[in-house]
Amino acid sequence: MACKALIVAEQESGAVREITYELLGMAHKVAEQAGWKAASDVKAVLPGEGVEKMAAEIAGRGAAEVICAEGAALKDYTGDGHARALEEIIRAESPSLVLFGHTPNGWDVAPVVAAGLDVPLATECSGISFDGGRALFTRKVFNGKFVQVVDLGGAPPLMATVMRGAAQPAATGGKGAVRKVQPKVDAQALRARFIEIKKGEAGGVDLSQAEIIVSGGRGVGGAEKFSVIRDLAEALGGQVGASRPVTDMGWLPHEHQIGSSGVTVNPKLYVACGISGAIQHIVGMRGAGYIIAINKDADAPIFGVADVGVVGDLFEIVPALTKAIQEARGQG
Amino acid sequence: MVYDRRPIAEIIRRESMKSLVLAKQVPNTDSPFRINADGTWVDEGNLTYGLNDYDRYGLEAVLKLKDAGKVSEVVALTVGPDRASAVLRTCLATGADRAIHIKDDALAGADPLSVAKVIAAAIKDESFSLIVAGLQADDDNYAQTGPLLARLLDRPCATAVMGLELLDGAVRVERELENNRLQVVELQLPAVLTVQTGINEPRYASLKGIMAAKKKEVRAVALSDLGLDAAQVGGAASRMKTVRLEVPPKGEGADIVKGGPEEIAAELVKRIREKTGVI
Ligand SMILES: Cc1cc2nc3c(=O)[nH]c(=O)nc-3n(C[C@H](O)[C@H](O)[C@H](O)COP(=O)(O)OP(=O)(O)OC[C@H]3O[C@@H](n4cnc5c(N)ncnc54)[C@H](O)[C@@H]3O)c2cc1C
Ligand SMILES: Nc1ncnc2c1ncn2[C@@H]1O[C@H](COP(=O)(O)O)[C@@H](O)[C@H]1O
Repeated sequence: MACKALIVAEQESGAVREITYELLGMAHKVAEQAGWKAASDVKAVLPGEGVEKMAAEIAGRGAAEVICAEGAALKDYTGDGHARALEEIIRAESPSLVLFGHTPNGWDVAPVVAAGLDVPLATECSGISFDGGRALFTRKVFNGKFVQVVDLGGAPPLMATVMRGAAQPAATGGKGAVRKVQPKVDAQALRARFIEIKKGEAGGVDLSQAEIIVSGGRGVGGAEKFSVIRDLAEALGGQVGASRPVTDMGWLPHEHQIGSSGVTVNPKLYVACGISGAIQHIVGMRGAGYIIAINKDADAPIFGVADVGVVGDLFEIVPALTKAIQEARGQG
Repeated sequence: MVYDRRPIAEIIRRESMKSLVLAKQVPNTDSPFRINADGTWVDEGNLTYGLNDYDRYGLEAVLKLKDAGKVSEVVALTVGPDRASAVLRTCLATGADRAIHIKDDALAGADPLSVAKVIAAAIKDESFSLIVAGLQADDDNYAQTGPLLARLLDRPCATAVMGLELLDGAVRVERELENNRLQVVELQLPAVLTVQTGINEPRYASLKGIMAAKKKEVRAVALSDLGLDAAQVGGAASRMKTVRLEVPPKGEGADIVKGGPEEIAAELVKRIREKTGVI
């Protein structure tokens, strides 16, 4: 029954989440490097209740077998319930590698399972490679300033959470099996109770449709200093965006936040001022047509996604740009 | 004489509602970062340090509960070298009641599972009803110490908390999900939470707080005090090891425009015209 790679599938209200297929894609890439037979060695586990139909979908996307971990205690995600079920299944399957998504539920449950199994965990990995049989996990540290390569010590199971977009989703057309198991997780014994999933607060502005966005980050330094950003946005006829710290600190309302936990934007022009370029910000704005970055740190990751960059103080550059634009538009 | 008319059970519960906040010292994000000589971490020589941003929000979350009379004591704990005592002083000055500093040379390079084991050992004789950590540390970005600790202590855990409310014997939290959604979940106490930034508005230490902090207890603890062996939890024994640190691949990267502010502005206007047509 043992398998080589086990991926932890994710579903929510009757739908398989896309990360599941990315994890299968990653498992196939690893299998290729490790010399495993993807057709038999890559499995998935799907915790939930009444999830057989979704399991069949996953079985068609590159899993040799999908283990449905079924039970009333697993219906809605709770870290307590899902960790217990996964720990039990991993013990039974004794895989060499276990992959979770680095998603809100993945990062919630994976460390609990790792501590239960007493194995180390590599989080938010962008890649897994092999160096003479030794698995190496690539991840970012210092919010993207550096890439860290870690070794987990070799003893199975090697466990990792994988960031979104790290692998191509596995192709369709597979014919894996589906097997139902009932982990011994008693709903009465759970110490966590799911209440509901609700929408966060909605705000007055919707940046998702904006054509021009000028964003400020922590580098702006304060709510009162945001006028330089606002002035440029106004000169361009655009909207004001922000990175998370700006809205966390209340310099701007939450609806201005761009990124994985804010809005995703696709403007023709995006100007990032005093924003370092953490992945959670980049995923929200990399679809912009033309990206200008202004940052005093030449090594800031934002320059990796920008089309054009200025290494300098935003308080010198931005007002000069505002003025030049006003003149160009005959407003000055 | 004023009688406390609350039920006895409630008084006992309130008075023993101790909470622990984990506080990590991390390099300030605007420090000059360079990879160290052996290529396995950053050169610590030029860095300045502060309290991990997420932990500021964690501290505020428990201080608010204390202000509301729902928590009796706030204890701050750090694992780190001598310099890390600065974050404990910050916590004490901001309102924590006492602090625990776990320091031991053998802990340099310890992986998060080892750190969590050390924390679990240090607090095993204290009954904390609520343990609050940050979602992640701004240096290693591991995002795992809180839930690791929860499992080692056999307690329920919720991560990326954006709202919390203490109920009778439980805590109701809102976990941040993607696409502006939240999961509402109730955890039985004792429980472990990790907070996301933005959950509250962290207060700053007052002058009075800074003075008062000088009289507060900071207990220094070494591995031997915990009955732990460096061969199990020390850095040298950690199974997760950094093989190397690299500068991220730049890809194509941005075309850097140079010159004085006016020259740069003129060049940017030209490019915006050519590439986007918005002006
Ligand atoms: C689960 C999760 C979800 C998240 N969701 C989001 C999200 O949706 N959106 C988001 O943005 N972040 C998000 N984050 C946070 C993210 O990881 C970063 O912490 C954040 O994006 C950093 O914001 P910043 O670039 O403004 O600040 P910093 O990283 O502190 O960067 C500030 C930058 O300003 C520059 N600077 C300073 N002064 C000046 C000056 N005078 N002139 C020019 N440049 C200057 C500095 O060089 C630095 O690069 C999330 C994190 C997590 C864990
Ligand atoms: N050495 C440490 N000392 C105190 N708290 C820590 C330490 N390491 C991690 N933590 C806590 O765990 C959180 C997540 O850290 P990490 O798992 O390293 O990303 C931090 O925000 C802290 O609250």
